[in-house]
Amino acid sequence: MEKWEVLSKTPYKEIREMQDRKLRAFICNQVSIYSPYYSNMMKKQGIDPYKIKGIDDLKYLPFTYKWDIAPNAENPQRHKDFVIRPDEEVSEKYGHFAKMSMSTGKELIEQKIYDYKPVHIHFTTGRTALPTPFVYTKRDVENLRESSCRLLDVFEVCGDDVTVNCFPFAPHLAFWTVYFAADTLNSPVFHSGGGKIVGTSKLMDAFEFLRPSVAVFIPGYCYYFLREAVKQKRDFSSIKKIFFGGERVPPGLKEKIKELLKLLGAEEVMVLAVYGLTESKVGWGECPSHEKYHGYHLYPDLEVIEVVDPESGEPLGEGEDGEIVYTSLDWRGTCVVRYRTGDIARGGISYEPCPNCGRTVPRISSVIERKSEFKEFNLTKIKGTLVNLNNFFPLMMSHPDLEEWQVEIRKRNNDPFDLDEIYLYVAKKPDVSEENLTADLKQKIIRETEVSVTNIIYLPLDKLVGQLGMETELKEKRIVDNRPMG
Amino acid sequence: MQDWSKISRMPANNIMKLQDELLCKIVQDEIVINHPYYSNLFKREGLDPTAIKGRSDLDKIPFTSKQDMLSSEHDPERAKHFILQKPEDLESTPKPKKFSLLGRKCAEPDPAEYKMSQLFYTKGNDQDPIPIVYTRYDLNNLKETGTRLSDILNLKRDDTMLNAFSYAPHISVWQLFHSAMTLGATALHSGGGRVLGLEKIILAMNNMGAPVLTSHPLFILAALQTMLRQNTDAPSLERVIIGMDYAPMVVVERIQNLMLQCKAANNLVQRVYFLSMAKAGFAECSPGFGYHLNPDHVLVEVINPQTGESLGEGEKGEIVITNLDSRGTLVLRFRTGDLTTGGLSSEPCPNCGRTVPRILGDIEHRHDYFDLISEEASVVFNGNALRRYMIGRKDVLAWYAEIVREKGNDTLSITLKPAAGINEEDLATKLQKDIQEEHQLTVTVNKGSYEAITRKIGLESSISVKQIFDLRQ
Repeated sequence: MEKWEVLSKTPYKEIREMQDRKLRAFICNQVSIYSPYYSNMMKKQGIDPYKIKGIDDLKYLPFTYKWDIAPNAENPQRHKDFVIRPDEEVSEKYGHFAKMSMSTGKELIEQKIYDYKPVHIHFTTGRTALPTPFVYTKRDVENLRESSCRLLDVFEVCGDDVTVNCFPFAPHLAFWTVYFAADTLNSPVFHSGGGKIVGTSKLMDAFEFLRPSVAVFIPGYCYYFLREAVKQKRDFSSIKKIFFGGERVPPGLKEKIKELLKLLGAEEVMVLAVYGLTESKVGWGECPSHEKYHGYHLYPDLEVIEVVDPESGEPLGEGEDGEIVYTSLDWRGTCVVRYRTGDIARGGISYEPCPNCGRTVPRISSVIERKSEFKEFNLTKIKGTLVNLNNFFPLMMSHPDLEEWQVEIRKRNNDPFDLDEIYLYVAKKPDVSEENLTADLKQKIIRETEVSVTNIIYLPLDKLVGQLGMETELKEKRIVDNRPMG
Repeated sequence: MQDWSKISRMPANNIMKLQDELLCKIVQDEIVINHPYYSNLFKREGLDPTAIKGRSDLDKIPFTSKQDMLSSEHDPERAKHFILQKPEDLESTPKPKKFSLLGRKCAEPDPAEYKMSQLFYTKGNDQDPIPIVYTRYDLNNLKETGTRLSDILNLKRDDTMLNAFSYAPHISVWQLFHSAMTLGATALHSGGGRVLGLEKIILAMNNMGAPVLTSHPLFILAALQTMLRQNTDAPSLERVIIGMDYAPMVVVERIQNLMLQCKAANNLVQRVYFLSMAKAGFAECSPGFGYHLNPDHVLVEVINPQTGESLGEGEKGEIVITNLDSRGTLVLRFRTGDLTTGGLSSEPCPNCGRTVPRILGDIEHRHDYFDLISEEASVVFNGNALRRYMIGRKDVLAWYAEIVREKGNDTLSITLKPAAGINEEDLATKLQKDIQEEHQLTVTVNKGSYEAITRKIGLESSISVKQIFDLRQ
């Protein structure tokens, strides 16, 4: 791992050289030997690991997809093939020789255990596939600590900031990033475990008790939480920054959150997002800024990010829209090479120094759409039309008259061969006329998504919040596919 | 904190001497100067801090109870008065260590010792949870107590742990996190039934091949029973660590038996007593040998809950604790509301030989004792005894009890789900007779569905279960 202060000021050309060097070593010395999946794959496909001399040669390696890693019923242990581990046979055969060595045998073994023995586990949040575990070794935990501190450095959070961590507790990257960041920086923090654990009203009490300057949220829950706080006339004037993670941030939401915080007494709040994947084992943050967002700052010594054409898989140039592909660099535990994230970066990747903070590390665009939402819901067609469900998010989230919303896709009469129906559940703001809103929504939806909704159903807010699973589920259920299997 | 290898072998007399010194030090150096609540209390009561020379002078200090720390209307932030403040003359940035030939450490305390790092809450069974502030100093202690815990439990680096304690900002999850992390054992902190759910935890345990499973006793019982019902084995399971809830010896035996029935590799069950105010968990080396304390971290007394008198060794009473080496939230003579049935012992442990004091017997909760009126006489109903009796019964799958007042009389209404293949009528009659005789109460027994009962007692949804509900006003 490089020093962040130095790395973030190094010209990109040198960073690239460093990445080439690291990638070469990582593929040859770790992945091609110790990772069962990749060593098998390379043997089978006749790929010479020594041919990979740098990032430009990555294209010789095939992509890894989510379904390559996720355990399934036939092979529930499949994820273990992605864990970097020294050959067990060799360890058993020669391990005791090393132990007997008079000089440094013991340290050597300790070093290997530090490098390779898993100590910490995260899971992916997939709703369709079985959750996939990603393991961290002690060395990885140090990487995680360092990267979390870098995140706080990008966010300009210091040791005196008081943080409330409202991520739901789970073996997920989001919660633990906040833990390791605060622990390493020694800044005061309350890991609440989210509304599901402590309850929304108790969480508000904790906010008033601690008077935090930083709060970390899942976007959807934050919006709900702050609206409740406004209702209860709470005083959150101490808040300076809000960080989002765990989920994509819909474009209109940042503004809505800022408005709510004004009502709670907090002015000039920065709302920033973290982009992270369980597979990437770290999260990347946006530069603090009020209006313009300058993209997520990467850690080039810990990963290689490529942007490729989602259809053809061809690598794309700087600034071009495309799918983010992740390759781990210098990690142990579970490592993936050329992992297709299913996330589309609008504006791609940029290698120019950040205009806001001047850091020279590469940046991925702040506008990220999740292609995987299609996949997860298996939605190829509704009513025969390919629908981009992503378009519901910006439209509904930024709609000024809406409090909450949910989309349900059903079959007429629950018959798998009948027509698709789209139901939209909404909770409107109190003084809005239903008639106008219905007309407005119908028109906007047809414009944005090219399908018309079958029915718009108005629900009281609390009922809809329950239906969304806001306080009971890990991630709220915005789009529900209730179509029976044909 | 001291070196555990030394302190765990130190003769009892030396341990007491050490505790006297630590008590003197914390009262005189920290509490009277930096502690808002106690410095006031000492002034108000006219107490001379120099008169506190050791354990024998403890009874001069009045007790602190949960009520003193709960927020009230005129003082919503009472818990803040219990946080040790940074000494005024301490500079906010630590001074660089001065050069010293003999390698002496810098005498100046680090301001980070007093700065809040993390916030936990008490379990809050019967009242609102109380916030407990941890500083960097406390977190370091938490790592040390974590190491001690793994030493007493004999956890090894090769063990894989599935931590199924339901997540809460509470000592239990975090103590085990630090135990596993400092030890370097592989651990999945699952968040328990609340986050993953029981089914997924069983799946995760078998997929990981985890030999160590931790959770509250009834969750473990339910998990093992579910596995038996589904004909799933737990071939990798070797050890179960239970805590957070009432864990009498009968539950240990039942879990041991169930583990054998699930074809577990071994059937070791160990109990841990997590105490929020002590900022640590205390473990038993083997069931029945007592919870091993950290004498250099916390001072434990056992008192008569009615009179407040200190009790001798082996006498049943309420556990009272005094922090000897903490920052952040710090309490003196805090009444925990937990009762030990076996009292304290300073004899070396007959099992492992460690000389630290131990809390013997089971830990009962005072909030499970109820003052009832039955046939115009007042009766003290011990809910713990009822829980012990019911846990021991293999023919009951799940149950809860409600106390209701009918025509000036308090009666007990039990709702239960019998185990498979049990005649419900016979069971109801037997239970009604037994409990009525034992507790001198009118008892009715009803049937309920398994799902409804487990939902009501919060088997998966809360951090420990509640089985007795007081429905009187």
